[in-house]
This record gives sequence, structure tokens and C-alpha cells, in this order.
Amino acid sequence: METLKKTSTRKNAFKKLRSEEKKLGYVFASPWLIGLLTLGAFPILFSLYLSFTNYDMISKPDFIWLTNYRILLTNDSLFYKALFNTLYHVAISVPLGLVAGILLALLLNSKIKGMAIYRTIYYLPNVVSVVAMSLLWLWLFQPSFGIVNNLLSPIYEFLDMEPLLWYQSSDMSKMTLIIMGLWLVGGSMIIYLAQMQDIPTELYEAADIDGANGLQKIIKITLPLMTPSIFFNFIMGLIGGFQVFTTSYIMTQGGPGNSTYYYSYYLFDKMMVDNAMGMASAMAWILLVITLVITMVALSLNKYVFYLGDQT
Amino acid sequence: MKKVILGMLILISILTLSACKGGEVDERIEIEFWHLSPVGDKSYSQVKQIIRDFNESQDVYYVNGTGFSFWDYWDKLNIAVASNTAPDVGFSTIDDNIHRAERGVLYNISDFMATDIAAGDDTLDIDLFYPSQLRFLTYEDDLYGLPFTATTRMLYYNLDHFAEIGLTEADVPTTWAELETVAKQLDKVDGTDIERIGFDPTYGQGTYMGYLWQAGLDFFNEDLQVTLNTQEHKDILEWMVTFNKEFSRSQLNAFGEANTILGIDPFAAGRVSMMIATDGLYQTLQDYDSSMNYAVAPIPLPDEDGIRVNWGSGFSLELYKNGNELNNKARGSWEFTKYLMSTSVQVEYSEAVGWLMGNKDAMDIVAEGNPIITALVAECEYAVDKVYIPYAPAWHGGDWFQYYDELKAGKLTVQQTLDNARDWYNEKQTNYNDTH
Repeated sequence: METLKKTSTRKNAFKKLRSEEKKLGYVFASPWLIGLLTLGAFPILFSLYLSFTNYDMISKPDFIWLTNYRILLTNDSLFYKALFNTLYHVAISVPLGLVAGILLALLLNSKIKGMAIYRTIYYLPNVVSVVAMSLLWLWLFQPSFGIVNNLLSPIYEFLDMEPLLWYQSSDMSKMTLIIMGLWLVGGSMIIYLAQMQDIPTELYEAADIDGANGLQKIIKITLPLMTPSIFFNFIMGLIGGFQVFTTSYIMTQGGPGNSTYYYSYYLFDKMMVDNAMGMASAMAWILLVITLVITMVALSLNKYVFYLGDQT
Repeated sequence: MKKVILGMLILISILTLSACKGGEVDERIEIEFWHLSPVGDKSYSQVKQIIRDFNESQDVYYVNGTGFSFWDYWDKLNIAVASNTAPDVGFSTIDDNIHRAERGVLYNISDFMATDIAAGDDTLDIDLFYPSQLRFLTYEDDLYGLPFTATTRMLYYNLDHFAEIGLTEADVPTTWAELETVAKQLDKVDGTDIERIGFDPTYGQGTYMGYLWQAGLDFFNEDLQVTLNTQEHKDILEWMVTFNKEFSRSQLNAFGEANTILGIDPFAAGRVSMMIATDGLYQTLQDYDSSMNYAVAPIPLPDEDGIRVNWGSGFSLELYKNGNELNNKARGSWEFTKYLMSTSVQVEYSEAVGWLMGNKDAMDIVAEGNPIITALVAECEYAVDKVYIPYAPAWHGGDWFQYYDELKAGKLTVQQTLDNARDWYNEKQTNYNDTH
């Protein structure tokens, strides 16, 4: 009887704690929530309304029901081209970024002298403006005079092939921008690194006693325990990937031949160049739905994520 | 002590907030003017002085000028017009003025002029401006903007290069056939590397639409329906992209990239002997303090029957309604507009920013004793702006370049380029009609 009482009191205390935590959570989130409701909610809902109109940013918008959506989905050849370019970018850049970030984090998790400097160096590109970075890579990838092709020239000679045209070729341009994006992998590397350093050393010690080698420890301990941060970077990468715009805008202006004309770029042009704000709003909502569906599917992978505190 | 600190803080806050209003506090009606000479720009002080001179001459109106960078200005203006927060007076582009006039966001300039005349006041002399520009600013027989600047495109040629191969100004080409003959003599190759190109129709401001106009053709007919479907359209595009066919694509690519790396205009760098460019290239050469011996000539014609015409864009000066009916602010804006368009101020503005201005008398004064500016101003008479296509406002830009770039890269044939472009314009028109 006494035990039951004790259990019930403990449960109530736990409930109270949860409720207080909940309240505190809302308090801490309130600045963002207030910002969203006062500054973000109206434009978001207004853009939904505009997506059903032919608003051209000057005239009074006329309600045209689902015409914008119908046109985009059935009679706009560039819509699918831009969508394909974006999906291509997401499909390659997100996994590549994950792998590169993890490898870098593994390298920078070693205990060698001057590691803090290396970590800083690898993170540094993330504080460089995207515009400056794009211009820099434009020079590096110059087909005739750029450093990249100069470094690769022995390979070209060995394979008896013409130097790659990188961003100047419609076949290579998307890949060029993806490779360039890897320069920013230091951002996710920091998150991986933080999680790696959180892994209890006892696990590695136990593995050592069991005779595990380095690779086995990475596969059996490090990677499983890093899945929360891998999952986080994956979801963020997906969402960010669908919004790719700046590098293409600066480096290739969507070309050559629309090969780097991404969805967000087309949306931007619809609004700023074609003055079709209604159509641009419809594009934004379609993008939201696509991103939402893909993210929801991706979230189902959560069951494979190993949270260290869960098993207790 | 706490009270003293609090008092000081309140005093500082009040002083800071008062300073935000600006130096001048008076009863005059404030006019907002947006221009393209931001703080830090070399023309900033002179433009500020032009505004100050107006303010000093006024008891009723006061102009508050704000300068934006060229690259920021257009997006800011578009958004401001959409949200009724545009300046009272501002620059815009001449070719799409009709788009804004049609939608009622601009004051009718003709009405202001009629009011001036009825009241016996001085008004603007429209004869001072180029008729071709005024035509673009006219909607339903009324003016909705004024041509603040003019632009023209001409053939720049390097006389040092000419002299090097024994040619003189008398040899400057006037037809495409002559252009080809002279250009090939000016080409310079070192092994497989191109050192200099005589001329390339795709360089600088050489545009397909410009060459079409010279042959009496265009992208669109009078009903704004896309054409691009005749053998002549095909031939001209073929001529453009095969002009330097004796060089391989990789040679031309390497030459183009070297120009980019230099970061200087290829004509200014002496790497191209003849090039079509705007009056802006004259300013670039002035800024470089170039010792190059060069001159300008009308763009060579397809043949003797060709039409002397060039693409002449420019900035319009417009008065934004921002949802208001005619009021004192608008009248003040009109007074300031007349001031900006007057001959003396147009001269001052041209000297400040280096632009060709819309006021012909002003340009005669600026051009006096300068053969290059004289030639550029004379060519403005043959300048025509591109037509505004509501269903494809960027028809000459992104809409066309998506295919043109592929043609230059050898991915599309001339026929495919024209077919694809035509299909794209038609698709845009259908979609536009479905939503309007």
C-alpha cells in the first residue's frame, strides 16, 4: 500500500514537472512565436490568397481560382525543368554533404596537436559571404585558366580528354555547384563533432577490450550514436536544398541553357521579371507541399535513429 | 546619481530621435525623390547639390533625395510601387512605362502641362526630347513619363589597331561584308591562342534584335505575336554565330575567359579591335584614363539597303500616385520634374553622372568640342527602344538567352534555337492570356 502511494506521488510530481517544462518551453519559444504570428503569418496567408489571383504587383488582383496551379502543372515547360534541376541538386548534394561532413568530423576528432586550428580552418568558409565564395569558385573553375583544371591537367592528358568546362557546360554545371557546396560542409561537421565528443568513452574502452579495430568502432559505435545529428542534418539539408538559389544566381544566372535554373530562381523571376506575383505565390505553395511531403517521408526514418537516453 | 543618469539618458534619446528627422524642419511640402547616386558614389555630391539648388529656390516645396545603387534600385522600386510607398518622383525604365501607365500608378504628365498652359505658366518644351523616346512614354495619347536619359549603341573601333595593318578611318566598315573583311585583317593569333579578335557580333552590345532591326525584322509583329520564322531570321542568327568560324570553340572559349579574368572590357583591354557598345564604354575608357586612339561610327548595316537603327534605352522620370488623387505633393513633384528636365540641370546631371541625357539642347552643350560625345548624341536620333511585351517582359533577356547561350555553346542549331524560342514565347502568351 505504502509503495503504491509512493509511486502515485512520484507520478504526480513527474506530471507537474512536465507541465512546468511545457510552460517554460512556450515562454522560451514565445519571441519566435510572436514574430511568426505578427510578422510571418499574414504574409504567409496572404500569399495563399495571391496564389489564386493574377496579381502583377501593380493592378488590383483578380481571383482566378486554380488557374495558376493548372498552368504550372500542365502548361509550363520551365516549371518541370526547374523542379528537376532542384530535385537533382537535392538528391546528390544532401547525401554527399552528409558523407563529407561525417568524414571530416571523423578526421577532426583525432587527438593531434593544433586540432583547434584545423577545425577553425574547416569551419571558416561558413562565415564567408556566399557572394564572395561564389565569385572565388568562379575563378577556380574557369575552364582554361582555373586552378581546378590546372590540377587535373595530368589526368586529362592521361585519359586523352578535353578539359571539363564545369559551370560553362550544361552537362556539368549542376555538378559544379554541388561540388562547390561541399566547401560549406564545415557547418554540419561542427554538429557531428559535438555529438561525437558526447559519446561515452566507456563504449570505446569496452570495444578495445573486445579487440575491435578502428573501423569496427566507427561502424558499431560512432555512426549509430551519431544518427540523431545525421538525421538532423539530413532534414535540414533537404529543406535547404529545395531553396537553392544564390550560387546559381551569382555564378551561372541559371544557365547554361537553364541547366542551373532552380525552382526558387524561377519563382524569383516569375515575381521580379514577369511581374506574375500570383503565379509566384502558387509556385511557393507547390514548393511547400513538395518539401513537406518529402520531409514527412524522410521523418519516417526516425525509427532508425538511436537516441542515447532512450534505452534507460 | 541614478536620477542624473536617467535624466541624461532621456535627454540623449530625445536628441537622437530629433536628429532622425533630418536637419531641415520647416513648413514646406516634402517631395521624395529616388535617384541612382548613393552615398559614396562619385556623383553623390553633385546630385545632392542639384537637389539643394532646387530647395533653395523654393518656398513651397522641399525635395528629399535618396540615392540607391543601380543593382538595388529596381527591386526596391518595384516593391515600393506595389505597396504604394514609391517616391513622389523617381527614375524608371522607358520601355515598360506603358505597363505602369496602363495600371494607373503614374500621374499624367500631359495634364500637368495642360494646366501650366491654361494658367499661363512656363511648361516643358516637348520638342527638346527625342520623339522615339516620347513615343514609348505615351499611353492613350498622353505622356506618363519623361525621357531623363538617352542611350545609344555604336561601333567602337581602335585606330591604333587599324594603323598597325595600314588601315585608316576611311576603312571603317559600313556594311556587314566590309565588316568581315576588315575584322579578319585585324585578327591576331599566337600559335593556337587568339591574341586579338577583329570583331565578333556576339560581343559587347551586339544583339540579335539589333541586327534584325537593321534588316527590317523583329522578334514580334505589330500585334505582339512572335515571328522568328523567316529564312532571313535564320540567316542573321547564323551570321552572328559563325562570324569567327575559323576559330574552334575551345579557342573562342579560352579567349572569352581571358577577357573575364582581366576584368576589363575587351575593347578597353585592346583585345577586340571593333565592338558594338553603349555610350557607357566611352565613360569606362575615360575612367581608365586610356591612351587608346579610338573613335565611334554607326553600326555597319547588312547591306546598302539596311536600316540605320540601334537599340536606345534610357531612364524615364515618373511621378508616382501611391493611391492618391492630384494633390499639392503631386504639383510639387511636377515643379521638381520640370527643374530636372530643364536644359541647365540636364547639363549639370550629365556632368555629374556621365550619362547622355534626354534633353537634346543639354547634350549639344555637353558634346561641344568632344567628337566622341558629338557622334554618340547624333546617333541617338536613330535609337529605338525595345517593345514591351506584357506576356514576356524579359523577352530579350532570360527568355531569349536560355536558347541563345545553347546555340553559342553548339548544343542547339540555329533552326532549333528559333523554334524553341518561338514555342516558349507562344507558351508564355497562352498562359498570360489564361490569367488576364
